[in-house]
Amino acid sequence: MIGGSPWSRRAVAAMGIFGLVFLTVPLIIVIPMSFSSARALTFPPPSLSLRWYETFFGDPRWMEAMWTSTLVAAISSVAALLLGGLAAYGLRRGTFKGRDWAEGNFMAPLIVPTIIVAIALYLALAKIGLLGSFAGLVIAHTLLNVPLVMMVLGVAIREFDPRIEQVAWSLGASWGYTIRKVVLPNLAPSVFAAWIFAFIGSFDEVIVTSFIAGKYETVPKKMFNELILEVNPTITAVATLLIVFTVLALAAVTLILGRAGKLKQTLV
Amino acid sequence: MSDIRLEGVTKRYGTFAAAEEVDLSVTQGEFVTILGPSGSGKTTLLSLIAGLNRPTSGRIFIGGRDVTNATAQERNIGLVFQSYALFPHMTVLQNVLFPLGVRKIGGAEADRLARDALKLVRLDGLENRRPSQLSGGQQQRVALARAVVFKPDILLLDEPLGALDRKLREELQVELKQLQRTLGVTTLLVTHDQEEALSLSDRIMVLDKGRTQQVAAPTEAYLRPANRFVAEFLGIANFVGLPDGRQGLVRPERVRLSTNGAANDSGKPAKIVEAIYLGQMVRYHLALEGAQSIVAAVPFLGTAHVPGEQVTVSWESADIWPVT
Repeated sequence: MIGGSPWSRRAVAAMGIFGLVFLTVPLIIVIPMSFSSARALTFPPPSLSLRWYETFFGDPRWMEAMWTSTLVAAISSVAALLLGGLAAYGLRRGTFKGRDWAEGNFMAPLIVPTIIVAIALYLALAKIGLLGSFAGLVIAHTLLNVPLVMMVLGVAIREFDPRIEQVAWSLGASWGYTIRKVVLPNLAPSVFAAWIFAFIGSFDEVIVTSFIAGKYETVPKKMFNELILEVNPTITAVATLLIVFTVLALAAVTLILGRAGKLKQTLV
Repeated sequence: MSDIRLEGVTKRYGTFAAAEEVDLSVTQGEFVTILGPSGSGKTTLLSLIAGLNRPTSGRIFIGGRDVTNATAQERNIGLVFQSYALFPHMTVLQNVLFPLGVRKIGGAEADRLARDALKLVRLDGLENRRPSQLSGGQQQRVALARAVVFKPDILLLDEPLGALDRKLREELQVELKQLQRTLGVTTLLVTHDQEEALSLSDRIMVLDKGRTQQVAAPTEAYLRPANRFVAEFLGIANFVGLPDGRQGLVRPERVRLSTNGAANDSGKPAKIVEAIYLGQMVRYHLALEGAQSIVAAVPFLGTAHVPGEQVTVSWESADIWPVT
């Protein structure tokens, strides 16, 4: 815990507040800039308008990127939830040989630098002819999000008494029936949280996407490309929308896990 | 309702034998307890019978049917754990209805069976509560109702009263015994609590390091243990030297104390070291000549000896049981 003396405690508090401000100020500056009427990026904005939101929603290329991002996030998050959930269950409940090795393999995309994952996926997808395809994009995002799902669900499964499942089997319930009627209803808050994390993880992804997406534009990839070409205030509007979306999603996770009393175990 | 038979059941994890060549035969309607310290293999044995685990070798029969390789689902067993293992998201009634739903019994008949089972464990009126709203004793009753509602062939209980406080445990022991007798279901209980084993069972199987030490009726195991381990595990054991060089067991209740000299030839002088008042009984720790110590349990009738007092201890030769 934090040291006993009031001075050291104050120092730690000051550092904490500084860190928080350092992290949030850039986000907070982006929001008023997105409502600016000026043609170039200026802070503070000379006057307020919604012109950059109109530009964003009126631009078919932005709308297409939005649609691609949403579709990729929707499919890959559900796929990651299925695969990661099954893997987490098998790893937590199983007692087979090579379990630690398998777990390390599943968690690798989270630990290995993203750029290396991106290059590996680039080469692998090129080899099977899926480079630049929509399917390739979905596969890559699924792979990146499986470890996130495994982390969230792994904790939840470990906390769930295996004897409850054993009793269900002894009462005659098959494995699938037990998962559906006993395990999933109790793990629902964590499953929802894992899905949200996977969805955001996919929606935010830019490094791997830049390597493998080919002609497909996702929202973060397009933002990055726009920044390179010209500094266009439209991206502040996009950024603001993304911030609002992420904050709402995380608030939903906090609310649901908090209600289930699981927030602490999942995040610590 | 069925009998249980284990033939040479062995479970090894690598070189470690959790259960070694265990034979046991439980007859229809019998209540048998597997008693042993932690790590004796008793829970392993239960999980093998429940089908949660497969033996390395040996065979398991339930109702004459070889279930050695059958899944838990195929065995028709009522299982109760120390941790209750109720389904947290279901009400009491839904918990009890679960095994009926699995068996495609629904509607009014399922409802009647579930309510009957809840009445049997005296929980009628609490049907719509959640497990988290019940006390430990009530939760264990729900677990029992859920385990018997579908008329299982056998009932397996893994330290079912271990999480409860003493008074509640004693109450539930009586109820459990009555429930078992009413239903006539063949029951196997696993515990490390020798008092529980002695009070509930028709027969006790004492297990140590994965091996059977003795299978006998409670009084038989208590008074005529097969070996020193059983003698010491089932209660306080005094060992006295016998003329043939063997050791003889004398239980504390069989030791007599007197203050006015030896009552018979076998009387020995002893000094009270400690007197422990237990309500109905007083337990004396005594020192005999030659540093030998002995424990006596005497009914408390208003007065007790005090430490330092000189007394004479004696026992009948019929109360000595030679052990190896």
